[in-house]
Amino acid sequence: MTAKRARNLAFSAIVLIAAAIWIFPLYWALTTSLRSENRIISDAGVLIDELNFSAYIDVLSTSKLPLWYLNSVGTSVIITVIVLLTGMMCAYALSQLRFPGRQTLYLLVVASFMVPVPALYVAQFVLMNDLDMVNTWWGIILPQLIVPVVVIVYKQFFDAIPREMREAVLLDGGGEFVLLFKLYLPLNWGITAALAIITFISAWNNFFWPFLVVTSEDMMTIPVGITQVTDAFGVAYARMMALALLAAAPVIIGYLIFQRRVTEAVMISAGVKG
Amino acid sequence: MQDTGVHLRDVTKSFGAVDVIRGVDMDIPRGQFAVFVGPSGCGKSTLLRMIAGLEDTSDGQIAIGARDVTHEDPADRGVAMVFQSYALYPHLSVFENMAFSLRLAKRPRVEVDEKVRRAAGILKLSDHLDKKPAQLSGGQRQRVAIGRAIVRAPDVFLFDEPLSNLDAELRVQMRLELARLHKQLGATMIYVTHDQVEAMTLADTIFVLQGGHVQQHGAPLDLYDDPSNRFVAGFIGSPSMNFFEATVAGHTKDGITAQLAGQPDQSFDIPLRHRPEQGTVLVLGMRPEHLMVTAAGGMRVTVDVAEELGGVSYQHGTLEGGEAVIFQQTGARHGMHGTVQTVTPELARIFVFDKSGDRVR
Repeated sequence: MTAKRARNLAFSAIVLIAAAIWIFPLYWALTTSLRSENRIISDAGVLIDELNFSAYIDVLSTSKLPLWYLNSVGTSVIITVIVLLTGMMCAYALSQLRFPGRQTLYLLVVASFMVPVPALYVAQFVLMNDLDMVNTWWGIILPQLIVPVVVIVYKQFFDAIPREMREAVLLDGGGEFVLLFKLYLPLNWGITAALAIITFISAWNNFFWPFLVVTSEDMMTIPVGITQVTDAFGVAYARMMALALLAAAPVIIGYLIFQRRVTEAVMISAGVKG
Repeated sequence: MQDTGVHLRDVTKSFGAVDVIRGVDMDIPRGQFAVFVGPSGCGKSTLLRMIAGLEDTSDGQIAIGARDVTHEDPADRGVAMVFQSYALYPHLSVFENMAFSLRLAKRPRVEVDEKVRRAAGILKLSDHLDKKPAQLSGGQRQRVAIGRAIVRAPDVFLFDEPLSNLDAELRVQMRLELARLHKQLGATMIYVTHDQVEAMTLADTIFVLQGGHVQQHGAPLDLYDDPSNRFVAGFIGSPSMNFFEATVAGHTKDGITAQLAGQPDQSFDIPLRHRPEQGTVLVLGMRPEHLMVTAAGGMRVTVDVAEELGGVSYQHGTLEGGEAVIFQQTGARHGMHGTVQTVTPELARIFVFDKSGDRVR
């Protein structure tokens, strides 16, 4: 065996161990969700030696899971659409239009990275309360619409489009809307898809803000709904894990379908965030 | 018929304190093929973009026909432009690229189809209408760009160095196609290039620009045969004209005797109407084809490099004073490389310039 081959094998082994460590909690959640509540208390084993779907049946029949799904899908889709549309238009203006204060405006967008989102929660909650939006979809949605990374990524891609293409459209009789929606957007479908995926996933996974702004069980999103699965004797582990897996399912399936794009999106936004 | 010529009056363009176009006047009659030519940074592309409306005009007036378009939007000027990089829309098919302007103008489907197919027919693109630009060769892409201009039926076609991205053979072919297209469409065309061969072969009128000024304009051969200053004389013609410093040694009956600087035995009797005073320093211009190899008595040239092109050859060498010189040989097959030759200019074809570069006639 050559030294190179040995190195490769050692590296593969390390990667495999790391992957196993990473996947173990998921696996444990799965085995836990397939046991009865009583058995979990008495035996926290990790082997699949029981296929008990009662936790799933219970969660699906007694909790408001379908409603939470609807809330999660509804708010995440609306957030994604609005974030992309406004981000794209803002980036277009910053990239292509010449107006006084353009640089300052762009610096402001970049600077907004420096504000940690949780630092705004109290102010945002007070605002939502004043606007009577606590326990509404808009209460969940509005504070999540500020995503500077979308503006910055779009601006970089728009900057890269040759000026002559823009001028060709102007000569062909197009204005700014034609330019944005018939040239800049179609030329950037790839990055648009990638940005849509990361925006959707982060909206779907967002726990803390919806947890703050929603108290009514009917308005909860799935991550918040998971906290509701308790019974008189404390945490119901099997049901909680079943619910967690059901909540993660759409994201996992979506990820498997769009794997390449998600990786691309994460790399691009990580590059921007430095 | 409607005038669709292009008329510029005292047109100026400044970027901050820098003037790139300085008071340009020009009239390009309807149906003419005008070429702006000049070295990099002379303002020729800027001037074209000002006519297109892609650059603001700082001062002066631009008219297309009788219409003042100085401050009109590009789309309202009745011009179409073909860019050096083609600027095709990469996500659209050839058909959609060509139909883009008509679709924006909300023309009926039948009309769009008919106009695009007719243009595609003229440009031999009918078999490629469903392809994306990336699937086409450079020459085909250039034709799509021209097709996109044709479907708009503009009053004026503007070309910004459209052939510079093509290889030499294709460039010659496209040049001929452009000349043919101009005859077929009969539209006014303005063409920008730094390649004076393109300018000479395509133009009805050439405008030679330098430093934001039009140095001279006229028919290609007029500029070649009768340049009005040293810059135009040097720019038009390939290889370019030889220039040698000389002084007026005396006056003859119909001209002057000019003595080559640094070579007391080389003097030429040149016919001139206006005779500068004796002792005046001049610059003599001689085209490579007007220098004849003679047995003796001419300028002695040591040939460094011989460019053999088959039909003609260009001999690059130096005079005894160190000045570079190029002369042309026709039909010669023996290499002159490394030899010393004596050459004599055709006296009637020597161009005389004063020290500031203006022509003395």
